[in-house]
Amino acid sequence: MTLQTLVDGLVLGGLFSLAAVGFSLLFGVLGVVNLAHGAFVLIGGYAAWTLLDRFGIDPLLALPLIMLGMFCLGYAFQRTVIQWATKRASLLASMLLTFGFALMIRNALVLVYSPDFKSVTPSYAFDSLSFGEVTVGLTRVAALLVSVVLLALLAAMLRFTSLGRTIRATAQQEQAAALCGVNIRHVFALTAGVSAAFAGAAGVAIGLVMPFSPPDETLWTINAFVVVTLGGIGSPAGALVGGLILGVINTMTAELVGAAFPNAMMFLLLVLMLVVRPAGLLGNSFKGSR
Amino acid sequence: MKIDRRTILKTIGTAVAMPAIGRSAQAQATDTIVIGGSVPLSGRAAETGLNVNNGYLAAQKFINEELNGIEVDGKRYKIDIRLFDDASDPARASTLIQRHLDDGVQFFLGSFGSNIVLPTAAIVERAGKPMMQTGGASDQIYTQGYKNIFCMFPRASRQLYNTIEYFASLKPAPKSIMFAMANDAFSKTLAEGAIAFGKQKGLPINDIITLPENITDASSLVNQIRGKKPDVLLATTHDQNSLLIARQLISSNVDVPLLYLSLGPQLKSFRDALGNFANGLFFQQFWDERSPYKDAIFGSAQGFASYYGKHFKRDMAYHTASGAACIVAYVHAMKAANSLDPAKVREKLAALDVESLYGRIKFTPEGDGDPLHLGSTVGQVLKGNAEVVFPEASRTAAPTYPAPTWAQKRG
Amino acid sequence: MKLFVSGRPAWVSIGLTLAGTALFALLPLWLSPYGVRVGQLFVLAAGLAVAWTVLGGFSGYWSFGNAAFVGTGAFTAALLQLALPGWPAGSAFALALVVAMLFNGLLALAIAWPILRLRGIYFAIAMLGVSQVCFELVSNIDALRGALGVNLIDIVPKGVRPERFYYWALLLATLIVVLVAIMVRHSKLGYGLLAIREDEDTARMLGVPTTRYKMIAFVISAMLTAMMGVIYAHNLGYITANSVYRGDFNLNVIVYSLLGGMGTIIGPIVGAGIMTYVTQVLLGDLLDTHMFITGLLIAVLVLAAPNGLYGIYDNHRLRMRRRKQEAQR
Repeated sequence: MTLQTLVDGLVLGGLFSLAAVGFSLLFGVLGVVNLAHGAFVLIGGYAAWTLLDRFGIDPLLALPLIMLGMFCLGYAFQRTVIQWATKRASLLASMLLTFGFALMIRNALVLVYSPDFKSVTPSYAFDSLSFGEVTVGLTRVAALLVSVVLLALLAAMLRFTSLGRTIRATAQQEQAAALCGVNIRHVFALTAGVSAAFAGAAGVAIGLVMPFSPPDETLWTINAFVVVTLGGIGSPAGALVGGLILGVINTMTAELVGAAFPNAMMFLLLVLMLVVRPAGLLGNSFKGSR
Repeated sequence: MKIDRRTILKTIGTAVAMPAIGRSAQAQATDTIVIGGSVPLSGRAAETGLNVNNGYLAAQKFINEELNGIEVDGKRYKIDIRLFDDASDPARASTLIQRHLDDGVQFFLGSFGSNIVLPTAAIVERAGKPMMQTGGASDQIYTQGYKNIFCMFPRASRQLYNTIEYFASLKPAPKSIMFAMANDAFSKTLAEGAIAFGKQKGLPINDIITLPENITDASSLVNQIRGKKPDVLLATTHDQNSLLIARQLISSNVDVPLLYLSLGPQLKSFRDALGNFANGLFFQQFWDERSPYKDAIFGSAQGFASYYGKHFKRDMAYHTASGAACIVAYVHAMKAANSLDPAKVREKLAALDVESLYGRIKFTPEGDGDPLHLGSTVGQVLKGNAEVVFPEASRTAAPTYPAPTWAQKRG
Repeated sequence: MKLFVSGRPAWVSIGLTLAGTALFALLPLWLSPYGVRVGQLFVLAAGLAVAWTVLGGFSGYWSFGNAAFVGTGAFTAALLQLALPGWPAGSAFALALVVAMLFNGLLALAIAWPILRLRGIYFAIAMLGVSQVCFELVSNIDALRGALGVNLIDIVPKGVRPERFYYWALLLATLIVVLVAIMVRHSKLGYGLLAIREDEDTARMLGVPTTRYKMIAFVISAMLTAMMGVIYAHNLGYITANSVYRGDFNLNVIVYSLLGGMGTIIGPIVGAGIMTYVTQVLLGDLLDTHMFITGLLIAVLVLAAPNGLYGIYDNHRLRMRRRKQEAQR
């Protein structure tokens, strides 16, 4: 059954990647560690649930809409709150600020949606695909596709468009970019918007695959930490590699060591990785490490 | 609009300093019985916390509004339930319980989760006040020699006796039983008690898997099931994890003839989420609103259910009923003692043996629910409804075993 | 935030600490039991925050995983007591405390060398990882009993009310923490740590043994945190991994320092006092919105007073001095 375990791991890893890439981008470009990232992911999940439950809109169709909404949210969040904090205090203080927001969002979700778990179940939620020996749930395949496609799009955007070039330039040399006429604040806010949009997309994908409830926000923030440290900060490729490795390690540990140990293994790997190669597998450490 | 740092700081300063004075509410006013305690309304346990909370409040509302209070020693009292959110933090819970004690609260209700219930129980026990609770069933609570702590459930290790009896009565007899337990004190003792009893009964319990407390992926469990093909899977997991396991089994097309998820299918939201696939799932059923129980306050189990349905939006769960039963137990004990002296009420609680909306309330000498009267029955989802299928005396429907396969339900 | 040289000599700080502690030690005689329990939470929070400050505040190495030492301390003590049944309560407690502190010191020493090479946010993340690994191992290895939980022996002497006893015990522990912090602060080690915070590379160039200093501070911080953890666990009486490896221990200590003033010793104490008062007393009655308000408060604090209350006080002092100088001119 090892092939099955590998496939399960990759599918899970796709989710981890998508859920971490926004965190990675914000960290890489702005140096801001967004502890509210997991809460943003959940907002996406709840939005998908609402749209399906109230209006019957399929989560995959709702995806662009949710990403757009989250983009605006992220943009506004950066322009108003984080920018103020990074200007007045330190980057580490901005981390605390986002922690405060994580608490608020979590509490707000409980108030709006009750503490009960929610499950996004479109009509195809229980179907599966089989390839020879290997069977995977259809929604999991969909989630994996969504994350690979979105990550590829993001990578292309960063690589080929002028916005992408600007973002990368700003990440590398903030002052030089500003001297070249880049509106740093705007670029930062755009990055935060993209980050939030991807968090929202991850929420949709996660909602398709598993039930969720407000306390899960911590989980997705911490997972993002691990993925980013494994893969390397600031790039979609890093998030993809980190996420996939993490997913495979998760299922392999469960199979070989014991079902209770994936998390322990995951964090052990995080610490080891930091010690051995803090820049992550694909390197590229930006602001955070300085 | 100018909001500078100074104004913000000043405003916060005044807002924080102000309410410091205002608290000296004397709890024991002349005509109310104050019952204090905590429930977890934020954090992981909030879902059950809210169900318990609503049960308490429904009973309070009914007693105060419909019955105009209760009569003890020739005097009418209204009930005043004061709860706070402990956020599943033991230190916060102990501190706030102490506040209730200081305020003169004489009767307590319990929180959820043994790591919260035990430290608060220790404080309440020391003060000699009774605590009725419906959220701490781990064995550790009942091996401390406490005299004042009562629980509507039997201790965890005894809760699945009926389930094991049911497994033993299955025809054809299962050839292989798999256990999957979540790694928390309650789920673990629940499973371990069942495993010990099952082995004693000679059941073929071949595999025992420990899962993390919260899971994001059940594929390893699914693969184990695919490989070992057990006839019975008993998972002691909490609602959200149970749903994940069920969903992954369905979408991987892995069938188990008897899939038993201790917590989950009792909730309507759980059954709705799975639709037709929920049918055939087994679970731990503590209570059914159609049970023929008579109740001195609500009239009957049905009476409670319809009253709750009329006044509360949230779906009913058995924790709601057991929460209400805690208040009912208090009322019985107070009337029997004909006094509001906590020691006397405690005596009567310990001796209680009455029928209530929730079943016959009777406690063991250690304070947990009598396994015979307050133990769980075996539930099964049939045609979208949660039915009781075992023991036969209290069944509302006949069980379907083996349950139809996922493929059959798809069609 | 350039509090480079402390304003007052060490003996004044020590004197003030002793006087303050004496004052706090008398409080339970007037407070209600509930007040004493709030006091416990405050003293615990202050102790943990000052223990964190020894590394985080002085050297700027922000640990996001001090719960690792709270939890590992608590479980070392609990498991040791389990292994030594029948010991008299006092000596079992003392032994468990010492062993727990030593064990955590060794644990810190073992991870110090690799982890302290990391800087800034990477160190923070690594410590978060360490605390999660400890939590997962303790919860999932059956012999460590993190899931089922452990009872700790009762060490309250007869005739003393437990809430008072633990208040005093925690106060004593916090006193030790604060005294150690003051001594560190005024020693060569302390100045070295401050130099590391301002500019680690320059400090090393100027001959500060940065690696050794960081390691010493880390080990001290871990041992002090473990000490607080052991007493906290006894106070609860029964612990599971969930009750001691709490995420809020990780972040709250930083909130306290930020609120009061990063890098100072009085700062975290004041911060702990305010946050405890707000979250446990003011927001104690709120059912489902207290988390929201706590979050809001943290956010507003970071935005409005990024250097904490001490920063405001410092600015005020600076302004006064300037005004005086201008008046003299």
